[in-house]
Amino acid sequence: MIILVILAAVAPLAGTLAAAGGARARRAGWAGVAGAGIALGSAVYLLVAQLHRAPLRGWGGFLYVDSLSGFFLLTVAGVTLLAAVGSVAYLSAEEDSGRLSRLQVRLYFVFFGLFASLMLASLETGNLGLLFVLVEASTLASAALVGLEARSSSLEAAWKYVIISSFGVTIALAGTLYLFYSASGLHLAPDLRLTWPYLFSHAHALAPASLRLAFLLAVVGYGTKVGLAPMHTWLPDAHAEAPSPASAMLSAALLNTGMYAIIRFLAIARARLGDGFPRGVLLAFGFASIVIGVLFMVRRGNFKRLFAYSSVEHMGIIAVALGFGGVLGLYGALLHTLNHAIAKAVLFLSGGDVSLRYQTREAARVTGLLAAVPVTGGALMLGSFAVLGSPPFGLFLSELTIVRAGFAESGPVLPLLLLALLAVAFVAFARTTTGMVTGEPQASPGPYRGRGAGVAAVAPLLVGLTALLVLGLWIPAGLDAVIRHSMAVLS
Amino acid sequence: MQNLSAASAAGVLLDLSAVMILLLAFACLGSKLFNRYVAYYGAQSVVLSFAAGVAAYAFHSIELWILAVLTLAIKGIGIPVSARRLLVQRLDLKRDAALTTGLSTSLIAGGALTAFAYLVTKPQLLPHGVVAAAVVPLSTAVILLGGLAMVVRRHTVAQLIGWLIVENGVFLGAITLVATFPFIVEAGIFLDIVAGVLIMLVFVSGLTRRLASASAAELRELQG
Repeated sequence: MIILVILAAVAPLAGTLAAAGGARARRAGWAGVAGAGIALGSAVYLLVAQLHRAPLRGWGGFLYVDSLSGFFLLTVAGVTLLAAVGSVAYLSAEEDSGRLSRLQVRLYFVFFGLFASLMLASLETGNLGLLFVLVEASTLASAALVGLEARSSSLEAAWKYVIISSFGVTIALAGTLYLFYSASGLHLAPDLRLTWPYLFSHAHALAPASLRLAFLLAVVGYGTKVGLAPMHTWLPDAHAEAPSPASAMLSAALLNTGMYAIIRFLAIARARLGDGFPRGVLLAFGFASIVIGVLFMVRRGNFKRLFAYSSVEHMGIIAVALGFGGVLGLYGALLHTLNHAIAKAVLFLSGGDVSLRYQTREAARVTGLLAAVPVTGGALMLGSFAVLGSPPFGLFLSELTIVRAGFAESGPVLPLLLLALLAVAFVAFARTTTGMVTGEPQASPGPYRGRGAGVAAVAPLLVGLTALLVLGLWIPAGLDAVIRHSMAVLS
Repeated sequence: MQNLSAASAAGVLLDLSAVMILLLAFACLGSKLFNRYVAYYGAQSVVLSFAAGVAAYAFHSIELWILAVLTLAIKGIGIPVSARRLLVQRLDLKRDAALTTGLSTSLIAGGALTAFAYLVTKPQLLPHGVVAAAVVPLSTAVILLGGLAMVVRRHTVAQLIGWLIVENGVFLGAITLVATFPFIVEAGIFLDIVAGVLIMLVFVSGLTRRLASASAAELRELQG
């Protein structure tokens, strides 16, 4: 089992090694796909095995995998696979056209594999200090992806991203320090003091004042990575400037990794402080993010920025769901995490295809996609409807669950406010994307050479949409069991 | 768990170093020359490595000795020297003109933040008398001062130094407990800082080649 855990985290490095060894976009890309596939396979196997046994522990608490980590491993590894396939198409098109140099292409695959592998590793550690180390390292690896195209705007976005996120995560480290202080009265074995399972099972003996500060700092710190307002300012720039498959990774994998860290702190805080304080903190940051995300979605312009603000909104929704708490709230939060990750990966990958074809990221300059490139246009349209929570897609179900949780846990005001904001988001977002898919079709030269790249551009879109549709109609019994098992870890 | 009382020689030395570190953070906040930013940061890191050495001596911990040496070599010498060579000299940086507030205002704000740090880290936060408890509010104050330096300065190099000061503050807080803070974690944090500084150096020099000055005030392309 330990081997599988290691394999899940290390496998994405296949692309890194291939690129470091001098492979060009296609080879390095397919090596990355193979690595991501192995990671996903190991994650699924771990998750299934986890249903029938106690959490895996090893190496003095440095390694710890329970159902919750398994669930996030599944999400992140799934997104990595979709983005890795998308990378083959995107990067080989950029390499063929000469817009990216061979060195840039190799750097892309080196850092893409590193980024994925660090995120997966951070989900597998029970040591909160090591969690910080890995999350910060994944920030650095992804900053290189954001600045890859080396225009002044992408360097600016990368600088903003790396300085704001590093500062934020350092705040989370200060939070970890205070958590450590709050446990200083306990008589635990020294090397286990910083490990989550021990802190969680001894939560009742932690010092509450220090724990409160620790939770707040952790939400602010890791919230910077999640993109919770008002710490979200790096997010739209980084998502807009990164190559599209890397944007998909940022939005659908990195933000979730940050949320995972917050959930770990939340579980300890709930166990000691009760519901009130954590709920207040999460609802405040959550609603602030939804409002900010929705307001900026009204503005029309760069479609990748639009998707990015939608990520801010959805991370806010997940924070609100965690804040509501209860069985429905937690269930909704986890289900929404998975749904949003798939939908956002589809959107960013189809957006990447659009920007390759028309060489623009401005929504106003793109029209008639549905007629000109039916698969991409269709994926963009269905993906937008999915991300906006219309039936029959998965996000409808998860948002409904979250609203129900709100009615059950906090009275009618907040869930009604949430519904109103979702309605505004629908209009703002759909206004831009319908403009892109309808209207006068523009001729577009196919950017891909060879059948492999063309298939790699389309396959992740179709797979993602199918998964969203399935999750909207029916939650497989296995997934249901996994989510319930993950929730049991937290209570 | 081993404890250091504030009255023991090691406790006094730790407290003194923590105060020095706070003063150097203030010095950095109150200066306007890039050379001095780097120099004050280097001096702060040297004091930090001394503090780590004191803790190592008190706890008889080999890992802490390693950390003290690493701190001296990387933060005290490596980062300041390379920042001076690669940034200050190569980009010919002299006076920092990109301040959002006057120096006196930022010093007063820094004083207020220090008071705030003492206010929030009340004794009940620290049950059962943690090692050299006086260090905790001081390290919190250093974290806040580093954050303040990042807010009032808009030049990318100055912001980088601000982040490093924040990092020093966290490290100061961790030293007092390092008897139980796993070594791998500390070493990992070190590695992160080095990698972070390297990648930021790349971005700062890339930006400077494209803009007249690498002031974040001129980074206006991305808005909304």
